[in-house]
Amino acid sequence: MNMPLGLRDRLAADYAPVRPLASPFTRAMWCVPFALLALVAAPLFYDVRRDAAALGWLAWTASLAQATAGFLVIAAALRESVPGRSWSGLSIAAWLAAPAAMAIALTLASWQASPIAVRNGWWFVFAVCLASSAATALPVVTMTAVLAARAYPTRPALTGALAGLGAGLIADAGWRMFCHFSEPAHVLSAHMGGIAVSVIAGMLLSTRLKTSG
Amino acid sequence: MADPFDSLTAGDARLRQLMREYQSGRFEAFDDLYAALAPPLRRYLLSHVRDAAKADDLDQETFLQLHRARHTYDPAYPVTPWAMAIARHVRLMDHRALSRRPRATDDVNDVELPVRGEAASFVERSEVRRALSQVPATRRNAVIQHHVLGLSFREIAERTGIAETAAKLRSSRGMAQLRTLLKGHGAK
Repeated sequence: MNMPLGLRDRLAADYAPVRPLASPFTRAMWCVPFALLALVAAPLFYDVRRDAAALGWLAWTASLAQATAGFLVIAAALRESVPGRSWSGLSIAAWLAAPAAMAIALTLASWQASPIAVRNGWWFVFAVCLASSAATALPVVTMTAVLAARAYPTRPALTGALAGLGAGLIADAGWRMFCHFSEPAHVLSAHMGGIAVSVIAGMLLSTRLKTSG
Repeated sequence: MADPFDSLTAGDARLRQLMREYQSGRFEAFDDLYAALAPPLRRYLLSHVRDAAKADDLDQETFLQLHRARHTYDPAYPVTPWAMAIARHVRLMDHRALSRRPRATDDVNDVELPVRGEAASFVERSEVRRALSQVPATRRNAVIQHHVLGLSFREIAERTGIAETAAKLRSSRGMAQLRTLLKGHGAK
């Protein structure tokens, strides 16, 4: 079967050698500077949470574990953006559920180790944590969405959701190192809300980049 | 249902080599890739759209997208799942585009045909309509939009969400088929 001449001419017109994309993990490494910035921004700018001593190892390892999970989700998003390497429905469910379960477990563990509730200005604290967590995630989610768009995401909304989830987890891991309120109602609404905003931003950005590219 | 890519699995090493060559600068490698991939991709597309002309258009669009996404192919993996994923994406995008825009009429009697005098001398309008109704819908719409409504191929491409080349192809194939059908009625 021969290629139609019209098609051949069209392909020849803009043909140039290309370098194959790096592996998803390698491409995810390009997000590391942004991820590190998101991770250390809150503790460096504001200070470390005041119950860090009471939490002990949990304060650092929990955030580190969550940030690592976020990085892996970003790598998963970049793999999803390559045709033929899409995740199955079950894998996607696992990628979405496992970090959520991990964040909930860490929230409950922190509450057990150092129970600090929000006594005054609940909604103010809620708004600050949600907005700051989401804003810190934005550079990471943007970088990931741009990297994904440079591939060929066949499911851009899903790719963006994974990118947003990964970025949100990393940003929230940093924000947790500053926010000492361990009350589950606060963490699961404000901090998880920040991650949810990041997921939505990732979906919108990835879809937009796909349609405009 | 038999997997249309079964026959390709054995030859995948060759396809990988061709893709590597295509990525690294040998344009001619795409001719062989086309020869190997076009039939099974077309079969896959045809099994979903059930319209030969439409399957041809989508097949070509798939190869355009394979070309544009050639940097995403990783030589460590088989070519066919990669190509298949892009074909599936093209099909779904086409389906989505179709469901979002108003459809052209399927009833050719609804179309006001400004048959020119020279054509009218050979065939009656009803014969043109009858012949037109036998042309597949995608080609018929391209013929009507270009030759009856006077739209450019670029405009047709924008309206229908296909490539300009595909619009030209649909129209020319539709006209060729129309001529053949009208010849059967004694026309030029």
